[in-house]
Amino acid sequence: MTEETLTTLITDEIRELIGVEGEPFEVGEAVESGAVRRFSQATMDDDPAYWDQNHAQQTKYGGVIAPPLYPGFVNRRPAGSPDPLDRFKEDPEWDGTTGGEKPASGGLPPVNLPLRRLLNGGVTAEFFAYAQHGDRITGQQKYIDITERTGRTGLMVIIVTETTYTNQDGVLLCKVRNTSLRR
Amino acid sequence: MAQQAETAQVYFDDINIGDDVPTVEKGPMSPAHLMRWSAAIENWHRIHYDEVFAKEHDGLPDRLVNGSWKQHVLVQMMKDWAGLGGWLWKIGFQFRGMDVVGDTVTAWGKVIDKQQVGEYGVVECEIGLVNQRGENGTPGTATAVFPIRGGKPIPYPFVPPAE
Repeated sequence: MTEETLTTLITDEIRELIGVEGEPFEVGEAVESGAVRRFSQATMDDDPAYWDQNHAQQTKYGGVIAPPLYPGFVNRRPAGSPDPLDRFKEDPEWDGTTGGEKPASGGLPPVNLPLRRLLNGGVTAEFFAYAQHGDRITGQQKYIDITERTGRTGLMVIIVTETTYTNQDGVLLCKVRNTSLRR
Repeated sequence: MAQQAETAQVYFDDINIGDDVPTVEKGPMSPAHLMRWSAAIENWHRIHYDEVFAKEHDGLPDRLVNGSWKQHVLVQMMKDWAGLGGWLWKIGFQFRGMDVVGDTVTAWGKVIDKQQVGEYGVVECEIGLVNQRGENGTPGTATAVFPIRGGKPIPYPFVPPAE
């Protein structure tokens, strides 16, 4: 405990971020069948509800859907926006992460920390409905908690962010809490 | 192909504490599997596809299977078990262990509690992903709602029971 009092990375500015909500944001493109196909093929989940309209229409979904956690993976770099991979020109050792808490376009102010490494500490999700193909999904993020602890490699900052996803009709799809470990 | 549609619906009445959830196995995970996932979600973190970087820069044993990918294996297991008549309500897990290229991961679950809450059959499970070395690196919990024989269908969109 005495060690932890020696230094802290959580400034007043960072502490004030707890509870802050970002502006609602539209998450990339509308849910498209090709993206759902690549997603479900990469996860090797051949649930016909993702691709077989005849099957899906006979279920409670009423049509083909996206996988439960798909709304958190719809973020796409808009066409014409700066290429993040340009960073390799100046920093060949860059690890390829676009930094901080996801998604970059989530509307939350960044947690400014002198820490380079980012680890995914865990996820909790609550599901209400699945996105349909063609849905336009809106997300809204909130900082739930920002804490720190001393690990083997020094101070580690733990950032819990909640994203609430709804579709264009205001139907609540899911709430996802991500824990990011920065060290 | 329409495996899920043909699988008989599981009812709350049939579930007992201590039951195993049907497992879902994926792998062995080749570099191509990892690349396919990273490309699908446009994630360029090099520890998932750049062997030299993963080992020499980050000091990892090899390229890591993405945590973002592993979560879907757990979700798939619970969603498929709940079936079209049930609902995966909540799921949570931590990424504590590393799975690397060449590993096979298996999602498993065990029923730790069941309770009828109003019209819902609420089932709590301990879940995780175990690799072929027996390392259980993604521990978590999940709550699924099952229909009760002779009861009402679970509404869609899902409406959580009153607290």
